[in-house]
Amino acid sequence: MVGIDIKIKRGSGKLAILALLDQEPLHGYEISKRIAQVTGGVLQFNLASLYPLLYRMEKRGWVKGKWEEAKSGRKRRYYHLTRNGKKQLAPLREEWGLFFQALHRIAGVAHAG
Amino acid sequence: MPDNQGLLRQHLGKLGLGSQREEEIIRELSEHLEDHAAALETRGVARQEAVEEALKTVPEWSELRNEILSAETEEATMNYQGTYRTKILWLPALGALTLSSSLLALLQFSGLVPRFYWLSDRMSGADYFTFYVPWLIALPVVGAVAALWSKRAGGEAIHRLLAALAPPIGLLGFFLISPFLTLLMYVLLPLFVNRAGHRQFAPTLHAPPLTGLLVLLVSWILLPAVALLLGAAPFLRKPHSQSSGYQQPE
Repeated sequence: MVGIDIKIKRGSGKLAILALLDQEPLHGYEISKRIAQVTGGVLQFNLASLYPLLYRMEKRGWVKGKWEEAKSGRKRRYYHLTRNGKKQLAPLREEWGLFFQALHRIAGVAHAG
Repeated sequence: MPDNQGLLRQHLGKLGLGSQREEEIIRELSEHLEDHAAALETRGVARQEAVEEALKTVPEWSELRNEILSAETEEATMNYQGTYRTKILWLPALGALTLSSSLLALLQFSGLVPRFYWLSDRMSGADYFTFYVPWLIALPVVGAVAALWSKRAGGEAIHRLLAALAPPIGLLGFFLISPFLTLLMYVLLPLFVNRAGHRQFAPTLHAPPLTGLLVLLVSWILLPAVALLLGAAPFLRKPHSQSSGYQQPE
């Protein structure tokens, strides 16, 4: 499988996390699992790449982590999308849409949008 | 699980983020490792091996440590928040202030004679101008520009509202401090005048008549605020749901 550059991964990770949390609050492991599932393994976030990104997003007020009881009965830190985070979603989608359109024009890279 | 926490502490060392936050991070990362190891165990991997595999997902612990520290403390985050606030509030507010005062100046210099309405104070016999009509008519445009500017920068309704109302808010601030400035002037001015060798300067302070103050507040604060609000109103509504345009691949 072709590896994704760390900078692209980080940039796209913000959008991926926000989009997932827009649907429901998730804990870290669930976020990494969903991203891998939904992208067919193209985007993969492990402990080292996911949490610094989550903490950064939390500092910016985009997401808010809360300890809540999971179905398993264990306490997990669930990330909730904040109003500020929701605001970032539309511009990020637009930004990435434009990015893929530009790449498509210059290099024939097709995008899913 | 406690062994995971111990391993994480060993790998990450002291983060210096405060015991509560540090504990929370270790606990959260430990839960992640536990989930990862458990997932491997369901595929038949032995417990010890599963934990080791989960730990291997972190190629460089020092790098993770630095990344966490950077995310938790970096100045860029603060700068980002400052820049964000500047974009959604301060710049549109400054734009509204500049535009409204420029309009006022432009109207005065363009030769358009402003229509003043006068109100007489029967008590003091003084007259006060009340409405600068051409300016008030133009203000909704300023309110609309400021609110739209803030909206496009990602500002919420409160930011758009504050940006649009910046001119009367600024004026109100000025009116509130002006009595202190006047008082200061009355205290300082005699000192300079006397030092220059002039005759004794003894100014007297008069409390401004209440009617005058009210007229000032209505004509320069309240009515401009209403005019600005009229222009900003269409841009104060919440946008439609932003999740509709995105579809995840199957």
